[in-house]
Amino acid sequence: MIGRTGETGPTEPEPVGPSPDKAKAAAPVRRPLRGSPRLAQYKRTWYFLRRNTLAMVGLGVLVLFLVIALYAAWFQPGLPWGQLNDFCSTNQGNGAPNDCVPGQAQICTYAQGTTAPHAGCYQTPSAYPSVIPPTLTFAHGVGPLPLGSLTVLPTSTLSYSIYQGLLRGIDWTLIISVSIVAGGALAGLFLGAISGYFGGVVDEVIMRIVDIFLSIPQVLFVIIVVAVFSSTSHSIAGLDATATDVLLVIVGFMAVWWPFYTRLVRGQVLVTREQKYVEAARASGASRGRIISRHIVPNSVYPVFIQMSLDVGTVPLFLAALAFLGFKFFPTQYFPEVGVIAALSVTNLQGFLDGCQVGICYIPWWQILIPGLTLFAYAISVNFLADGLRDALDPRLRR
Amino acid sequence: MWLYIVRRLILLVPIIIGVMTITFVLVSALPVTDRLTASFGDPSPKAPWIYEPTLAPGTGPCPGPPNNKSCPNPVYNRDIAILGLNQPIFVQWGIYIYHSFTFNWGTVSNHSSAGLLLKPIQGLPVIQVLGWYLPYTIELAILSLLIILAVSIPLGNLAAVNRNRPVDQAARIMSFSGFALPGFLLASLVLAGALIGIGSSVGYVVHTPWCPSGELLYQELTGSWPSTSCFGGIGGAVGYPSWLVNGIYTTPTGFPTIDALIHGYYWLAFDTIVRMLLPALVIAFGTIAILLRFVRNSMLEVMNLDFVRTARSEGIPEKTVVSRHAGRNSLNVTITVMGLLFAFFIGGFPIIEDVFHLNGVGLILAYSVQNTAGPIDYALVFGTTLLFTFIVVFANIIVDVLYAYLDPRVRLG
Repeated sequence: MIGRTGETGPTEPEPVGPSPDKAKAAAPVRRPLRGSPRLAQYKRTWYFLRRNTLAMVGLGVLVLFLVIALYAAWFQPGLPWGQLNDFCSTNQGNGAPNDCVPGQAQICTYAQGTTAPHAGCYQTPSAYPSVIPPTLTFAHGVGPLPLGSLTVLPTSTLSYSIYQGLLRGIDWTLIISVSIVAGGALAGLFLGAISGYFGGVVDEVIMRIVDIFLSIPQVLFVIIVVAVFSSTSHSIAGLDATATDVLLVIVGFMAVWWPFYTRLVRGQVLVTREQKYVEAARASGASRGRIISRHIVPNSVYPVFIQMSLDVGTVPLFLAALAFLGFKFFPTQYFPEVGVIAALSVTNLQGFLDGCQVGICYIPWWQILIPGLTLFAYAISVNFLADGLRDALDPRLRR
Repeated sequence: MWLYIVRRLILLVPIIIGVMTITFVLVSALPVTDRLTASFGDPSPKAPWIYEPTLAPGTGPCPGPPNNKSCPNPVYNRDIAILGLNQPIFVQWGIYIYHSFTFNWGTVSNHSSAGLLLKPIQGLPVIQVLGWYLPYTIELAILSLLIILAVSIPLGNLAAVNRNRPVDQAARIMSFSGFALPGFLLASLVLAGALIGIGSSVGYVVHTPWCPSGELLYQELTGSWPSTSCFGGIGGAVGYPSWLVNGIYTTPTGFPTIDALIHGYYWLAFDTIVRMLLPALVIAFGTIAILLRFVRNSMLEVMNLDFVRTARSEGIPEKTVVSRHAGRNSLNVTITVMGLLFAFFIGGFPIIEDVFHLNGVGLILAYSVQNTAGPIDYALVFGTTLLFTFIVVFANIIVDVLYAYLDPRVRLG
């Protein structure tokens, strides 16, 4: 997000223990690092990253998320791949109708105060027949319901397990956030390099455009992009409504994100282009394109990596905010995403909070706590990792 | 100094025009009917034909059976001409910019989500509606800005002075959790926590000094000011003050606390501020998280500078060195970052105001982008976007002026 890589300065403690150079000097028998100098640099970065406990914790959680994203089917036995287990209740308490349609996974619920029809039924609060309290039991076949269920409205048939939604949503979260950040960073890298290298009118024009984009609040910009194009662009050939909306959101967020990167890269390029090696390249007759692509960009790209890793954690939060503001751009049964599920849980909880207006206060707090904690775990581990990367990559912070 | 301010204000114009150009591009992508509805409001039930390009025989001014020919719609043609839609794109752009600068921001639709959820604003000019709702947002923003500055500067300084001690680690954890918690989640958690915590200990009906007849706890924790039950019992609106017009805005100034003071309702002014506290804290939390890191790091840098060492060697107490010498010099960074963060800060308002049901501009935006109760209200969406952009741009000017005031090198250089 906003200029967090701007934090520099002597902030972090020196890494304790010998630096790799000293270690090498102490053990001259060891063979020197093979490969290119860049490979050696990667190894050195990994060395410093390894020593940062928080970063390692973050990396571990992220690897866990990646495993879940790749092997979500493992965690949900018996669930058809590609859609959430949308379930309905049978035997609902206080006279609520059986809302099942053929083919839907059925669960058995019974109201508080009544007796269970048979084993394996879930007790629900008497006023809210579809809200199932958190439970950690797995019930194969009827749809596992650990951690509570999410119902959009207490009487609605659109209900599914939060657990399943989160499991199925992680892959989309990763895909969307990585693609948004990569797109924004690429555009920013390109424009920032041009702006910083050429200077003058080009620089002035690009930077004023950046200023304009930066003065529109980010969420608002995406909102108006989606609001305007969502209704008109559903006819794009070969894409259904969901895919179009997902694409629109990604494009909208890229449009929001590129100015940050442009500014960041331009600042770096302004420093890099004065270096001796750039001068040498110019003196030996290298073309502008070659200087930019081979000398300037590779040497000003590290802050971009750090900012990218920070932003990958921020995107789902923005997506969640967007979904919360009322863009139901993801039909949630078929397109779960962690942020969207968190947003829907909060929307759902608000229905219960509003219920407090008539004096019945029943608050299924776990419905926001569990998706919230998932989102929080993802975002904070990305932040830990990015922070560790910054410390490892920036030599000024190490010393 | 004045020259500097004037120069900054002149530089502002191209940025505002640029933002308007972006919204123009987006508006141009809308269907013509939507643009006409956004500009001139819904067609009345008596004349539903006014936005049709050609009239079928027998509708409106078009004559009926004898000659049975469709004819051009004069109202449609007039409206198209007002917006310049029959002219080249550059002329359209010019007309759009002119309308935007003269606050012709369109009309609220009757059947859009915002119009249906807030009946009193139906069919009104967007700028009037925003004028009603803006003062509350300004008060809320000022309160949360005060909280942000009151927390992040002392805590950042403390963290820098006690580097890598428990205080620093606590500040770091706080700032990380601020990055990772979306505002709406925090807001709902806080609200649910307050409801469960207070409700289970005190009860779900509370009797506050300013509402002795009792009010539901949920209504006490949300909303801008007390519900009608505080004024004349449940369901009755006997004593509901008339200056709380429709319960959605106040008169004469529009600032709720000032209006309450003007009318002598001191308890209501106090209650308005009390109700703002929870949302202001939630809004502040995300910004504090970011600002805290910058304050800490800039403080660390300043503490290593020569003049701090000189001050110490002169025997000035450490407390004074930190607060006077180093603290003031690290303020520059704080203010710059606050300017950069302002768009992020103000972008959080729609969500918080939606969760807490506060009568601010953010609520208008949150309602206008919904397409659940009715269609999206494009006039309100674009109006609020322009307004938020104006706020951000002017806040940046204020930040720049403050910065120039603190650092003579900027205004003289």
